[in-house]
Amino acid sequence: MNRRKLITVSAVLAVASLAVTAVPAQAAEVGVSSTEIKLGMTLPMTGTASPGYSKIPAAVKAYFDYVNANGGINGRKLTLVVKDDQYVPTQAVAKTNELILKDKVMALLAPLGTANNKAVASVVNPGRRGIPVLFVNTGFSGFADKKKYPTTFSVLPSYIMEAKIMSEYIKDNFDGKKLGLIYQDDDFGDDALAGFKQAGINFAVKVPYASGSQSGTTAAGWVQKLQAGGAEVVILFGVSSATAAALGTAAVMKYAPQWILGSVGGDATTIKAAGVPAGVLYNAVGASFAPATTDTNDEYVKLFQDIYLKANPTQTFDNNVMIGMNSAFLTAQAIQAAGKNPTRKSLIAAIEKSGSTFASAALVPLNYSTTSHIGYNGYWFGKYSPTGDLKPAGGVYTVYTTDSGDGAVVKSTYKRPAMPAKGLPN
Amino acid sequence: MKLSLTKSRFVGLISATALITGVLVSIPVAANAAPACDGKSPVQTCGGVTSDGAPYVMMVPANFNGMVALYSHGYRYNIDIPAGIPLIGGYKITNTPEPIPGGNSEVAKYFFSQGVAIVGSGFARQGWNPDSAIKTNVELIGLFKDKFTATTKVVAWGESLGGVITQGLAEKYPDLVSAVAPMCMADNVPAELTMAGDFLWGIKTLFDPSIKGGNYSAGDAGNAEAYGDLIKVFTVMGKLKAALSTGAWPDTSSATGKALAAGGIPSRSALLLLGLLAGLPTQSAHFDSVNGPDGALKLSFPLAVSPALAILENGTNAAALAILATQDVELQAGGAIFDNTKTNYSARIDTERVIYNAALSGNSAISAMLGALSAANPGAPRAVGNADAIAAMNALHSNSGVINVPTILMTGVADPITPAGASQRVVDAYAMQAADEKLAAFADYKATKTYTAPAKKLLMIWNTTPASWTKFDATGSPIATTPAAQGTNHCNFTSAQLVLVAKTLVSAGESGKLPTAGLIKAAVRRAGNLSIDSLYRAPLLKYYNEQ
Repeated sequence: MNRRKLITVSAVLAVASLAVTAVPAQAAEVGVSSTEIKLGMTLPMTGTASPGYSKIPAAVKAYFDYVNANGGINGRKLTLVVKDDQYVPTQAVAKTNELILKDKVMALLAPLGTANNKAVASVVNPGRRGIPVLFVNTGFSGFADKKKYPTTFSVLPSYIMEAKIMSEYIKDNFDGKKLGLIYQDDDFGDDALAGFKQAGINFAVKVPYASGSQSGTTAAGWVQKLQAGGAEVVILFGVSSATAAALGTAAVMKYAPQWILGSVGGDATTIKAAGVPAGVLYNAVGASFAPATTDTNDEYVKLFQDIYLKANPTQTFDNNVMIGMNSAFLTAQAIQAAGKNPTRKSLIAAIEKSGSTFASAALVPLNYSTTSHIGYNGYWFGKYSPTGDLKPAGGVYTVYTTDSGDGAVVKSTYKRPAMPAKGLPN
Repeated sequence: MKLSLTKSRFVGLISATALITGVLVSIPVAANAAPACDGKSPVQTCGGVTSDGAPYVMMVPANFNGMVALYSHGYRYNIDIPAGIPLIGGYKITNTPEPIPGGNSEVAKYFFSQGVAIVGSGFARQGWNPDSAIKTNVELIGLFKDKFTATTKVVAWGESLGGVITQGLAEKYPDLVSAVAPMCMADNVPAELTMAGDFLWGIKTLFDPSIKGGNYSAGDAGNAEAYGDLIKVFTVMGKLKAALSTGAWPDTSSATGKALAAGGIPSRSALLLLGLLAGLPTQSAHFDSVNGPDGALKLSFPLAVSPALAILENGTNAAALAILATQDVELQAGGAIFDNTKTNYSARIDTERVIYNAALSGNSAISAMLGALSAANPGAPRAVGNADAIAAMNALHSNSGVINVPTILMTGVADPITPAGASQRVVDAYAMQAADEKLAAFADYKATKTYTAPAKKLLMIWNTTPASWTKFDATGSPIATTPAAQGTNHCNFTSAQLVLVAKTLVSAGESGKLPTAGLIKAAVRRAGNLSIDSLYRAPLLKYYNEQ
């Protein structure tokens, strides 16, 4: 089908219809009532992929409840409908359809996983439906392609960016060492490979694993390959369960290289919950774009921790919670910026127009504009403490930024603006 | 193309048809003559044979209101299938008339209650037959009108290949029909046989190079070659099924297949890749690619195994079609019609390789498999078609998708024989047509200052799948004996869904326009498992190289 022609015809008709018919009264937007704005999220809440990620909805809800308790956004409460996709793409499609067709949400918020988001984009096609997909929980660089995913906004720095920045860290700190890489053998890992290649990093041993195949048994095979290849520094570019399998198995096999954990699989709470002792994490290198979750001097950490633990007193405030609450904070600002009677269209326009100025806990800038749906673009590196907490090297956040192309990695001069009063949208 | 995997379903279809046609047995039938009628009430039955030799049935209620519904049946194999062939053996060529889908008495009852007559033939030729079948239908309409002079409206509907015939009738002879309903409509023959041929070529190339896979001989020798291929393909499918958990490759695998096996790629990943390359649905009658058994396989089953099982179910149907329809069309076209010498399989699965990455065993495995299937690998020789035969195939009847009369499409979103993309192609074409019609109406408005909005002429009804449907027994093994889930299998409609289409067809035939959106929404909801979501989009068949 000639889509360009159809678009042109549609545009002409849109104008034409104004000329020949009375303008109908504007219908209320789907998912927006006089009292509520409904958002939907899919992610693994059960199953082997759920640890860590399953805390995100409670984190988002905690922040939304905080906003609601403070008057909501223009008098409307923010509500979140959560669907468990078990990290299965076909399930994500079914659940997203439910969110759109049955729950009638205004927008999708932080759907998780590269394959799942790609499946939803292909089958449900939120872009075609004009449904905003806010702050997807994947760093796959492709989702920032506005042409292909016109209503999708990335938020995490891309895996290419992460690999490029990680490469600089490696060059600065482990020059001349034999490098090993364990990576997920899909678009997630491909992005990382592209970033390392861009940075000129060569690996003595590369161990790909198919998503879902990670276990203690398969990890033993990884470790054997790394040992045989003499890898002294090993980068783990996979999900938390793969990180935990690798670290736990390597410890048992008495293999102790310098570990570098990618941000996706580097959440200490999740790794420890999988049975890996904190001591195994000790001295591993990690990365984040948000402040350390133990950094209670940070005003965002302090506020988010307070909000979250009041709502979830038996839980631990960790990186997944931090990122979830930060996305909720961005969402509240986006909806506020979308006007008194927000629509899907005005929500997208608001992020494009003002998203780069949204307040945020992150230590790197947002890059939204009318031509860019790229979120954050940088990382700081640190080391895990004896208790397994990621802390910046020397107690100072040294942030580097880059892009998903061939741009240089540069030391960031970004100064995070002060948090708005009470951590609420202005 | 009313192909069905199960012999019992096909037999059931014929039996159900017999319920309606049984009364014809005692009716004298004269070839190429006026229909002979039994004069019974409340429904009289007439029979006859068209000039090309197609037996037909007309059933006319006493309260005949002037409308007749012409039904076109789907694909029937054009050769007998010996009893020894698994799954479809014992089939005999038949041209038993089918005036109502599958002899469905509920649908017939509905028509009769409205005073609508039904008519349908068994067509003179089986196999891929739209060219002759459309002519048969034109003659049949004339015969009916001649016999029942009170006839004022003809509506037409059909399933599968009958959908192609119905759409073709509306495209070529819009003055003859007031409304049409092509259901689970096949695509044009090159698109359908590309899908089937791609899958069959892949099975041959990786799992059993002794499969002929096309370029069949003429006559009995060609039939024997086709029978041999059916047995070999079903045998390979059986071996793949048995090895689903171990990933072992069939002992008949090619050197290319064995090399992939040696590289640690499980056979289920290769099977899934072949299904994706061909464009087969990854959800099937019993496998939803969503559910897993409780326990250790809860995640890995839907992620890594279920899509391959779905391809196994769907692909068996596709392979049978590939063999039998290819052989039939080759006979009509005069040579080999499948040619993949220029097919870039790698470019076909940009999205699918991400979604099904785990089941395909990761990017390294995908790259290895695509490399093995590339034209550059002498161990995977491409099929070379006969240019004249391909031209002859392309000259067979094709539908453009133009909508001339109110049209109702209904199809399953995971139909493995006539993928939903076949209907999507018509939806896309109509979107362009409707846009042009609106522009023309606006141009008229500028000239006359009177705006008449063009009527919407197409209703697309998607037969959707449930949220999940794979069931497991107490040991965690999937159960594959339950009825096929809605939205899966070929033309798998309930009576309620068929009656909904019949009602809409009658309404559109009477009024000349489709019912209002509100009425349709309510009716669709009542019929169950249907959607008229205008923003749903099924992928086109891979033949169209949509990316």
